[in-house]
Amino acid sequence: MSQDHTNDHECQCGHESLFLPRQAKILHASQPTASEKHFTLQMIDGQPFEFEPGQILEVGVMGYGEIPIGIASSPTRPGTFDIVVRTVGRVTTAINTKDVGDTLTVRGPLGHGFPIDKLRGKDVLIVAGGIGLCPTRSLIQYIMDNREDFGRLVLFYGARDPLQLLFTEDRVQWRASKVVEYHETVDRADVHWTGNVGVIPTLFQKVQIAPETRVVICGPPVMFRYVIAELDAIGISRENVYVDLERRMKCGVGKCGHCQINDKYVCIDGPVFTYAEIESLEEAI
Amino acid sequence: MAAAYFVDEPGLRAFVDALAGSRRVVAPVAKRGKFEFGELSSANELRLDYDVTILPPKKVFFPPVQPIVRFSEDEVSSCTCAVDTVLLGVHFYDVKAIDQLDYLMRENNADWDYLCQREATTIVASNIQAVSPRAFWDSVGTNVEPQGHDAFLTKIGDGYVLETRTEKGEALVSYGSFREAMPAEVEEARAVNDAVMGTCPERLEYTTDEIAEHIRDSFGDEKLWDELAERCFSCGSCNTVCPTCYCFDVIDSWNLDQKSGTRTRYWDSCLTREFAAVTGAGGSKENFREHHSSRFRHRFMRKTTYLNEKLGGPACVGCGRCSQACTADIADPVRVINTIMERTS
Repeated sequence: MSQDHTNDHECQCGHESLFLPRQAKILHASQPTASEKHFTLQMIDGQPFEFEPGQILEVGVMGYGEIPIGIASSPTRPGTFDIVVRTVGRVTTAINTKDVGDTLTVRGPLGHGFPIDKLRGKDVLIVAGGIGLCPTRSLIQYIMDNREDFGRLVLFYGARDPLQLLFTEDRVQWRASKVVEYHETVDRADVHWTGNVGVIPTLFQKVQIAPETRVVICGPPVMFRYVIAELDAIGISRENVYVDLERRMKCGVGKCGHCQINDKYVCIDGPVFTYAEIESLEEAI
Repeated sequence: MAAAYFVDEPGLRAFVDALAGSRRVVAPVAKRGKFEFGELSSANELRLDYDVTILPPKKVFFPPVQPIVRFSEDEVSSCTCAVDTVLLGVHFYDVKAIDQLDYLMRENNADWDYLCQREATTIVASNIQAVSPRAFWDSVGTNVEPQGHDAFLTKIGDGYVLETRTEKGEALVSYGSFREAMPAEVEEARAVNDAVMGTCPERLEYTTDEIAEHIRDSFGDEKLWDELAERCFSCGSCNTVCPTCYCFDVIDSWNLDQKSGTRTRYWDSCLTREFAAVTGAGGSKENFREHHSSRFRHRFMRKTTYLNEKLGGPACVGCGRCSQACTADIADPVRVINTIMERTS
């Protein structure tokens, strides 16, 4: 005879599931492009939310799921935080139907962000392609908010066409700014575009970059190889080049296996790696 | 804490019945000509003479389908809850696999959806009475001793020796009419467990370190891996039956009210096509292990090299389940490892 040993009581062990999310309220939402939505969020529980530039969150809607996403604002601007979500599938569609006053679930921060200590006192070049500007925006804001701690700040940003460009207000500010040398380009211009046309590596012809510069790269995998070739030509050590990688991360806590590159888990060992670290990994790029 | 007891055959049955009356007991039982770990209602169902179970015992703490978060309109809540359980009749190779999962689920971020039930479980290992047709547990990771069991049960002559290893194991003794084992009985139990070593039908001919080095070095030999994986169907059966696999997917589902629901984790398989795929702009896919041979290779890298430093040995315990489960019969680690070793030595 079968016995019923099931236990309906809450576990008494007092430990919390890694998968229990916090709730964040949408304070501001805008749609910079046809497929992307920019949210400013605030944790509902009122507890502190501390993170480093480059760290990731698992953001979701209960009933749909979660996606890994880099935080698009700096911890130097506390109280709220930004994310930009591109509609590509089921979960991102569910997130992007949300609006001001709605809530999203958040787990994190997860992983290792940009190595601020290694950048401090150095010239920094940030190369961002497409949606890769979102996680790097966290670092850009961080450096601008602690400007005297860093050397020269150069930002290269490229998009497929002018309609894909993100953060219009930021770009207006960066263009006018004395503290960041901002250069942007589009792969394909439209009739209104008067700026640079060409892929990101073409920007290297316009700016002198010193070999001791620390470089941060975030963008589509195809961009990496061409940017690395430019950096090699300048003589920048691959130890000083940091890449922010994208993978499928289901758990974000180094368990589920989806984001593995060889023996590394992008979610906990990354998402930021030195190029020297990952060039020996056959599956990285 | 460590003590040795003896009980005769009827005594063992009474012990198991008493245990099953006190809590959940999961143990090997027959299932359509094979064996599985199932919930015991009586000692009559217990099959300590099994060779290998279809699925490994990890399912007790890491179920194939596990609710992890429940949600309603206003709140989310955790599902971690544990049932006092005795997991009885675990062969040593499966204990080694559980040791690995214990480590991996605890490291970096402790996964309490696993650990709560793990801590609420008492494991009684047992000696191997029958050897499965594809086993090679006596030649893989031989330097690694099984740790995470609370007691070890060995069949000798007309009874059983129960050696307790922990307080949790010792606490079980009061449920049976055990007497202290005589030194000769303990000695006989040791001899029984020694005798089974060397009886596996398949055998790795190389050391863990030799294997790790050669397999890692073979990574770039695409021709070799294409050949080894040629007939792979990407079905993931090798993952599904593996005692050391722990990859999972997380999927949400709704209740009928369409307001509440559950976030559930499911065993996942790195051999399946979409495992490392991400969706990009315009619904495009970037698959970081697109070809079946790169997924097949990834599994072997995981089992033979990537985790060795952390685990002190390979992430394969030689149970032979994948060899038996593989539709195309290409997953056999002995075949794959020995082939690579022969080609590269």
